[in-house]
Amino acid sequence: MTIVPVILVVDDDPAIRESMARELRASGYTVIPASDGQEGARAFASHAPDLVLTDLSMPRSDGFELISAIRPAAQTPIIVLSVRGNDADKIRALDLGADDFVTKPFSVAELLARIRAQLRRMSGAAMKTLVFDDLTIDLERRRVVQGSRDIHLTPTEYSLLELLATNAGKPVFTDHIIARVWRDAPGTTADTVRVHMSALRKKIEPDPSSPRYIVTEPWVGYRFIAEPAS
Amino acid sequence: MARRLAPWIIALGGTAAVTFLGHEAHLGPSTAGFAFLIVVLFAALRGGLLVGAVASIAATLCYNYFFFPPFYTFSIAEPLNWVALGAFLVTSVIVSRLVIAARIEADRAERRRHELESLHRLSIDLFTATNRVGALGEAAGRALKHLGAAEGGLVLFDGTPFRQKVVFWVGEKPDEIEDLIAGVGRHREPLEFPSPHGRDVYLPLLIGGHTAGTLVARGTDASMQALVSASRLVGIAVEREKFIEDNAHIEALRESETLKTSLLRAISHDLTTPLTAIRIHTEALRRGDIGEPLAGIIGETDRLRRRIDNLLSMARLEAGKATPHREPTPPADLFHAVRENLPLVFQSRPVRIRVEDDCPDANVDPSLILEVLVNLIENAHRVSPNGAPIELLARVHPTEAAMVRIEVLDRGPGVPEQSDATQRGLGLEIARSLATANDGFFEITPREGGGAIARLDVPAAPLPSMESA
Repeated sequence: MTIVPVILVVDDDPAIRESMARELRASGYTVIPASDGQEGARAFASHAPDLVLTDLSMPRSDGFELISAIRPAAQTPIIVLSVRGNDADKIRALDLGADDFVTKPFSVAELLARIRAQLRRMSGAAMKTLVFDDLTIDLERRRVVQGSRDIHLTPTEYSLLELLATNAGKPVFTDHIIARVWRDAPGTTADTVRVHMSALRKKIEPDPSSPRYIVTEPWVGYRFIAEPAS
Repeated sequence: MARRLAPWIIALGGTAAVTFLGHEAHLGPSTAGFAFLIVVLFAALRGGLLVGAVASIAATLCYNYFFFPPFYTFSIAEPLNWVALGAFLVTSVIVSRLVIAARIEADRAERRRHELESLHRLSIDLFTATNRVGALGEAAGRALKHLGAAEGGLVLFDGTPFRQKVVFWVGEKPDEIEDLIAGVGRHREPLEFPSPHGRDVYLPLLIGGHTAGTLVARGTDASMQALVSASRLVGIAVEREKFIEDNAHIEALRESETLKTSLLRAISHDLTTPLTAIRIHTEALRRGDIGEPLAGIIGETDRLRRRIDNLLSMARLEAGKATPHREPTPPADLFHAVRENLPLVFQSRPVRIRVEDDCPDANVDPSLILEVLVNLIENAHRVSPNGAPIELLARVHPTEAAMVRIEVLDRGPGVPEQSDATQRGLGLEIARSLATANDGFFEITPREGGGAIARLDVPAAPLPSMESA
C-alpha cells in the first residue's frame, strides 16, 4: 500500500492539534487540522480522509455534532479523544457511531496503534482468515489455531471470539455482544457474557490474569487488542 | 336593659291587657283561654323558660279570677272548670317549653352554619391565597379572625415544644403562656380556660403523629369543633409551607450540584489539555525531535502552572482564607506584566495595547487581576484565527467615574450561546470569580464586526490629595 492515509485531526486547543499533527506526520500520515466540529465537517467533505481523530468538548460545534454529521453516510473510522472520568460522553460518542476512543493524556504510541488497527479493519473487511501474532482464526472453517495446536472452542466461545476479532481494535458494547452472540435470548445478562468471556480467555490467553488479546473496557464492553500480523 | 325587660313586659303587660279587654268584652272562658295562651307563647319565645313559666302562672291566676264563676275570687265552683284551668296551665307550660327548645335548636344550627361558613372561607384563604413561603403568619391571623378571637397567635416548635418560634401574635403575650403552649405540644390535647370575653383556647397542630406547634385563640366564642377544625387547617398549611421550603432547598441543592459537576468537568478539561500536549511533546523528544517539542513542553508547563494558580486562588477566595490585597495599580503595569506572562501569545500574533490618558489607576489586588487578564488573553488567543490581532484597552468607565474599564477584544467566533463552564473554559469562570472578589464586574459581549469583548470593570483608586502629595 503506497497511498498515504489522510487523517482529519479536530481539536480546539492549538497546542494539542499542532503537536498531534506533527507526530502523525512523523509517522507518515497526511494531516488535515480543524478547530471545531463545523470546520471538521467541512474538511471531511472536501478531503475525504481515511480516519477522523476528534476531541469531544469544543466551543460552538462539538465532537458529537461532527460524529453525527459523518455517520451514517460514511464508514470512515472515528477515534474520539475523551477526558478521564467522563464515561457518559465516551459512551454517547460510541453510540453515535465512533469506533474507538483514547483517554487524555494518551500515549502517542498507543494512539498510533489504535489508528493502525482501525485502518486495517477497514482494508481487511472481506478477509476469510484473521492472522494475529500467534493466533489464526479461519472464519470459513470456524477453526482457531494458536502456534501449531488447534484450540477447541464451544460454539458460543467461537462466536464471541469471531465478533471481537473481526472488530479488532474496536470496543464492542456488551449489549451488542448479547444481541449478536445470544440473539437477545431472554435471561442473558452481562454476567452471562462475563462467564463465557472468562472461559474463552482461559483457552486463548497465554496468561489469563494479564490478558493479551481481550481486555475489558469499563462501562462499555470488551475489546480485542491484538495487532494483526502483517 | 330595655332588651332584658321586654319579655317581662310582654308576659305581664300581655296578661293584663288580655284580662282587661276580655273582661270588658265579656269573652267566654274558652276564647279568653286561647288569648292567654298566645301571650304565654310570645313571652316564652322572647324570654325563655323563666318568663314563660311566670307568664303561665300569672295567666292562670287572672283566668281563674276574672273568667271562672264565682268571679273575682280564686275559688272555682264548677268542678269541670277546674279541669279547664288545669288543662290551660299544663298546655301553656308544655307549649312554652317546646317553643324554647325549637328556638335553641335554631340558634345552634345558625351558629354551626356560621362557623362552617367561616371555616370554608378560612380554608379557601389558606390554600388559594398563599402559594409562597412566609405567608403562614397572615394565614394564622386570618384563622384567629374567623374564630372571633381578639388575641392569640401561632407558635411553631423547632424540634421540641420548648424551642418555640412565634410566627404570628396579636395582643399581649404573658410569660406563663409559653408553658401552656409547651404543655399542649407535649400532651397533644387542646386546653381551654374561661376568660372575660369568651374562652382562651390552646390547640395543638397535629401533623403526621407529632405536634408541629400550637394555635392560641384568646377570647373566642367559637365552638370546640370549629376551633379544632381551624387548627387542623392551619396544621395542613404549616406542613404545606414546610414542603414548599424543602422543595426550594432541594432545588437549590440540585442547582449547586449541577454547577459543581460542570465546574469539575471544566477543571478536568483545563488540566488535562496541557498534560496531553506535554505527553505528546515528550514522546517526540524520544523520537529524536528536540527543538519544537522542548519549547512546547516549556509553554505547556507554564500553562499548567497558571491553571493550578488560578484554581488555588479561586479555592482560597471561596474558602474565605484569602482577602484581596488592594492597592492603586496602573493598568499599564498590568499590561506589562501580562506581556511577561504570555510571551508565546505576544510572539505569535499582534497585541495592541492602549491606556487612555485620563484612565485612573485601578484599586485592585494586582496579582489577582493579572491572573484574570492572563486568562482572558489566553482565551482570546485560543479562539482567534492565526494572525488576528488582540487588543487590550484601559479607560475610565463611560458612566461611572469611580470605575476603571479594562477590555480584551478579539476577532474570534464571538460569544458562545451555551454558558456551560466546559464550553467557555474555566478561565472565564475564574475571571468572574476573581473580579467579584475585587468588587468588580465581568462580562463577555459580542464585538461589532465579529469577535468578543471580555470586559472587566473594577474600582478606581482615589486620586492622591494635595496634602499627601
